[in-house]
Amino acid sequence: MNGRAADSGHDRAADGVATQSAAPRRVLLLTHDGLATLVEELATADAAAVAPAWAGGAGRAAGAPGAPRETEYRAVTGAAELAFGGRLPRLSLKQFFLPPTEVLFTWRRTAGDVELTAAPTDVPARVVLGARPCDAAALPIVDRVMNWDYADELWNARRAATTVFSLACGVEDESCFCSAVFLEPAATRGSDGSLTPVDGGYLVETFSDKGEAFVAAHADRFAEPPAGAAGDELRAQAEAFRAAARERVAANLRLDHDRVRDWLEHHFDDPFWATLGPRCNGCGVCSSVCPTCHCFDIVDEPESVGHGVRRRNWDTCQACVFTLHASGHNPRADQNARYRQRVEHKFLVYPTRFGDVLCTGCGRCSRACPTGQDLSEVLAAIDGLSRSGAGPDTGGAGRSHGAEGAAS
Amino acid sequence: MSELQDTARRLLDEGAAQVVIGWEAGRRGARPAFVTDAAGCDRLIFDARCVHDLATFLNPRRSQVADLGRAAVVVKGCDAKAVAGLLREAQLARDQVVLIGVRCGGVAAGPEGPEPPALTADTVAARCHGCDVREPASVDVLVGEPQPEPPVAATLDERVAALDALSPAERLAFWTTELSRCTQCYACRQACPLCYCERCVVEKTEPQWVETSPHARGNFAWHLTRAQHLAGRCVGCGECERACPVGIPLGLINRKLQQVVYELYGYTVSDDPAVPAPIGAYAVDDTQDFIR
Repeated sequence: MNGRAADSGHDRAADGVATQSAAPRRVLLLTHDGLATLVEELATADAAAVAPAWAGGAGRAAGAPGAPRETEYRAVTGAAELAFGGRLPRLSLKQFFLPPTEVLFTWRRTAGDVELTAAPTDVPARVVLGARPCDAAALPIVDRVMNWDYADELWNARRAATTVFSLACGVEDESCFCSAVFLEPAATRGSDGSLTPVDGGYLVETFSDKGEAFVAAHADRFAEPPAGAAGDELRAQAEAFRAAARERVAANLRLDHDRVRDWLEHHFDDPFWATLGPRCNGCGVCSSVCPTCHCFDIVDEPESVGHGVRRRNWDTCQACVFTLHASGHNPRADQNARYRQRVEHKFLVYPTRFGDVLCTGCGRCSRACPTGQDLSEVLAAIDGLSRSGAGPDTGGAGRSHGAEGAAS
Repeated sequence: MSELQDTARRLLDEGAAQVVIGWEAGRRGARPAFVTDAAGCDRLIFDARCVHDLATFLNPRRSQVADLGRAAVVVKGCDAKAVAGLLREAQLARDQVVLIGVRCGGVAAGPEGPEPPALTADTVAARCHGCDVREPASVDVLVGEPQPEPPVAATLDERVAALDALSPAERLAFWTTELSRCTQCYACRQACPLCYCERCVVEKTEPQWVETSPHARGNFAWHLTRAQHLAGRCVGCGECERACPVGIPLGLINRKLQQVVYELYGYTVSDDPAVPAPIGAYAVDDTQDFIR
């Protein structure tokens, strides 16, 4: 179980050339009834099906009358729970591969020694039905980090055990910008298969062995698309859906990544950063909801006398203590430096190492931020600064001081 | 609006403040703004979307705000109560800050939207029910038209009463479910104007008082600790619940605390810093029957 998670065969090459969608291996049809039966069948077989579902809870999810209900990814047992047409789930799919907390090993003190037992890596097979393409694409992006200098057994085991079918996205709102980060609303990166809404159900396409194996194992639920004009009509509907979504999201943001990366590299001390930190609470909600943020903390917890566990828990570079040294010195002294870190990791550090960006443009950080920090606005501002021709570290010549430096 | 903008411009021009902390319209709705020049004052707004508690930015640990210089802060009633809390607890000196009070008739549940929503029982923030501050006191300047009482929403009190009516086992089940979503990100703490500790108890590791893992044990320990530390201090601004990325109804805990503190000490959170909070006061007739 120590193998590296393989990127899907159609993954974007690390040389920076975008491949947004792969040619499908198979094209099938899944009716709404077929989907309902499939979900129930998986539940009966004790095979977990994770899907966007209507969120539970007595808080915001209960909502004000008339407010749209929130959704969440969770293991579903019936079609009534499915929220394929709902809003973007509030947390990304990340939690099913890097849970908010997990045991790495348990320890037990024995006579004169300590016995260590590694956490099991035999993850039961499961399928994700209806992942947002921006969540599915995050998986191969994070694979690289999890297999860079150390192959993360737990992440890789969960990746290997999971088949991901994405759902072509109709675009959430003005905070989406997948098309500005090498993706699109129907991107197939990280997906073993995809579903695209058509009359009566979904056009299903497979892109990997895992995707093919899943449809083969549940062949009764999938149908061949009708031959002739009827089939052409369904394919045209799917393409029209994708094209409309592409057009919608493209209007939100455009970026020149080479220029953005270059600007970031040479403007570490730019006064621009001091226009962003004051608003930031330093709460890290942006990284909690982010499909690509993957930093974790390691803690040891005694369970009782003589035995305990080592766990890893989600962490965030936005927290003051993230870089606090034992001496009391903190190299990232304030929120200006911490917010800069988040942007630089995603659009300079990761790209320099892996030739890609650590962001899928899902926009969750902008939606979830309690103080209205807006990543696409910040990126647009950096893109603008990079065009203005200001030299390295000249720091915002021609810009007014204050938060309006980031205003679009 | 122009009264607010003119006031901000005057304070910056006169040098009474180097930064005005108020609200502006962002792409997703209202959000905090930090205006350092007269021209920027045109961006300042105040409407029902201005839900953020701006007292949070006066936390002396937020050096990136302090670096902008002496602040003038726009405060509605709940912000003013939080400022009073900071003054009462000696986190701030009154002459360090200029307070621009705005008359407030309630805010919406969230800051979203291109326009402020009409306030109705459905759109008003739950926390506005029972709010007694239309005009914040102890401010340096007061702006805006007189405001009506906020519409009455399904109140937090009713929801707390419904929880109180449950058996302890049912109540435990309710909170177990709600807290199971917590990832211990501490967004609730970061959004709280009164959570200003230099080093939070969850960040103390010798010994580790609170388990930081988001399992049931750690989550209960965190939320109970947070509640205890805010009893008699929480101003009910609701920012913790709004910041929570997984929608935990923290407002129910906060309102219950306010009720208990009122029952035991007759205290409601005041916007007058001279009124001592129970944690900072002693009276001979204080109830002691909890000591057994």
